[in-house]
Amino acid sequence: MMQNIIIGQYVPGKSYVHNLDPRAKLLTTFLFVIIVFLANNWITYALLGAFTISAIVVSRIPIRFIYNGLKPILLIIILTFFLHVFLTKEGPLLFDLGFIEVYQGGVEQGVFISMRLLFLIMITSLLTLTTTPIDITVGLETLLGPFKRFGLPVHEFALMMSIALRFIPTLLEETEKIMKAQAARGAQFSSGPIKERLKSIVPLLVPLFVSAFKRAEDLAMAMEARGYRGGEGRTSIRLLKWEAKDSLLFVFLLVLSIALILLRS
Amino acid sequence: MDITIKELEHLYSKGTPFERTALKDVDLSIKEGTFLTIIGHTGSGKSTLIQHLNGLLKPTAGSIEIGEFHIKSGEKEKRLKELRKHVGVVFQYPEHQLFEETIEKDIIFGPLNFGVSEEEAKKRAAELIELVGLDHSFLERSPFDLSGGQMRRVAIAGVLAMKPSILILDEPTAGLDPRGRKEIMELFYRLHQEEGLTTILVTHSMEDAARYSDRIVIMEKGTVALQGTPMEVFSDANALKALSLDIPETVQFIKRLEDRFNTTLPHSVFTLEETVEAAVSLLREEES
Ligand SMILES: Nc1ncnc2c1ncn2[C@@H]1O[C@H](COP(=O)(O)OP(=O)(O)OP(=O)(O)O)[C@@H](O)[C@H]1O
Ligand SMILES: [Mg+2]
Repeated sequence: MMQNIIIGQYVPGKSYVHNLDPRAKLLTTFLFVIIVFLANNWITYALLGAFTISAIVVSRIPIRFIYNGLKPILLIIILTFFLHVFLTKEGPLLFDLGFIEVYQGGVEQGVFISMRLLFLIMITSLLTLTTTPIDITVGLETLLGPFKRFGLPVHEFALMMSIALRFIPTLLEETEKIMKAQAARGAQFSSGPIKERLKSIVPLLVPLFVSAFKRAEDLAMAMEARGYRGGEGRTSIRLLKWEAKDSLLFVFLLVLSIALILLRS
Repeated sequence: MDITIKELEHLYSKGTPFERTALKDVDLSIKEGTFLTIIGHTGSGKSTLIQHLNGLLKPTAGSIEIGEFHIKSGEKEKRLKELRKHVGVVFQYPEHQLFEETIEKDIIFGPLNFGVSEEEAKKRAAELIELVGLDHSFLERSPFDLSGGQMRRVAIAGVLAMKPSILILDEPTAGLDPRGRKEIMELFYRLHQEEGLTTILVTHSMEDAARYSDRIVIMEKGTVALQGTPMEVFSDANALKALSLDIPETVQFIKRLEDRFNTTLPHSVFTLEETVEAAVSLLREEES
């Protein structure tokens, strides 16, 4: 039922994209989100597309996974496309259906906006598909490190995230076990009238919370027993290494940005 | 209700890269009223197998018949709830299923789901709480204030309250102290005899297997490796060794006894009491 839900959606691999430093990937994704807005004509959008597609090809992530990431927002993309096609009245009239008029500008806008959304989602999915959640956490912690000076609880935030990530599979497993135990006692989760199903949430949630709190207590106790007292002076077992290939990524990104600036109209 | 399992196969996460065979080619038939024990190493598919018996898991191939209920891969058995009324399951660490404010309410949760009247359910709760070795005053207490062992007993009462005719026990005594283990196992055995239940016990304890079962099934790598009466199974020392399973201590002792006195004992001696008796009578014979 819920076995093997891969948290985040990391797909193991050894490609260039997988092996990049998570900081490099996080920064690139962040910068990409900005430079996407530089594109404003066919050639610049084609460039962005080329970058996105080559990133996917290089990562060797099966298209299926990318598509899974897109699925939830596909409807929004299609909707935005048609909104632009029907409502933007710019450029020459393409055709007139009487009740509706479609202009060339509308079609262009529709395509551009949808592509922009597509590229954004693809690149961000690529980040989570090729980076383990823990690496993302460590990467974020180091990148946000300087903001500690301004009182941002960066370490606590990262710790919270890694604990949550660690326990999500455990909780899912537990949920499944409790569901089975209650189903054996006649609770109905997946069939029967809605009212019955809603009622069976209590016998599921109460034991789940009881065990989650118990786990939290145990964990806190175990951490204290081993001398944990906050992030001050703590070093990480995961050392991030910035290598030439990470810098290379920024060369690509720089070239892309310059090309976008020169070619945009 | 007799149980017949034919060519049962179960793959977890079928059709994904994480596919994993947990059961394959399991053929098994269990006559009504049998006390059957399933033994096997960790990961051999015992829990997976028993979850098929009340429709919590569906076979990916093969079929299961339980009385008039038929569970087949690809087909939907619509009367799952009815089936679950007949098949009670005590899971590993059943105390994790407690959720109500009071112990009484938790015990009657199952019966109420299966349409038993509240009055009748409460009557059962009152009987059962004593049967599992706690007293009446517990009924009004919260299940979350209890010790682990007491919680286990309450959870067991919650399953027994459904009055199942097939009782499935997945390592019901794991993590209990020796005395608690014995008490609980004796309780199950008494119920088995008094109520004429079909009992299926999953355990790692060879002693329990020897002591209570009519039949023993040994699982290995998702399939049945050996089955028979305790006598048949435990006298096949070579097969047990090949499966790297222990022979019960009493059986080992009897083997040595036989060697020492150069005789063969009737192969139905497995409990401690019987073993003692056999040894005593042998010693007496030698003396006289
Ligand atoms: N929910 C699940 N998802 C995927 N694989 C599972 C799941 N549950 C069990 N398995 C796998 O199926 C196999 C059989 O597991 P099962 O729990 O039936 O073993 P078991 O004999 O009950 O072991 P134990 O004595 O440890 O309880 C194991 O290899 C296990 O890894
Ligand atoms: Mg098990």
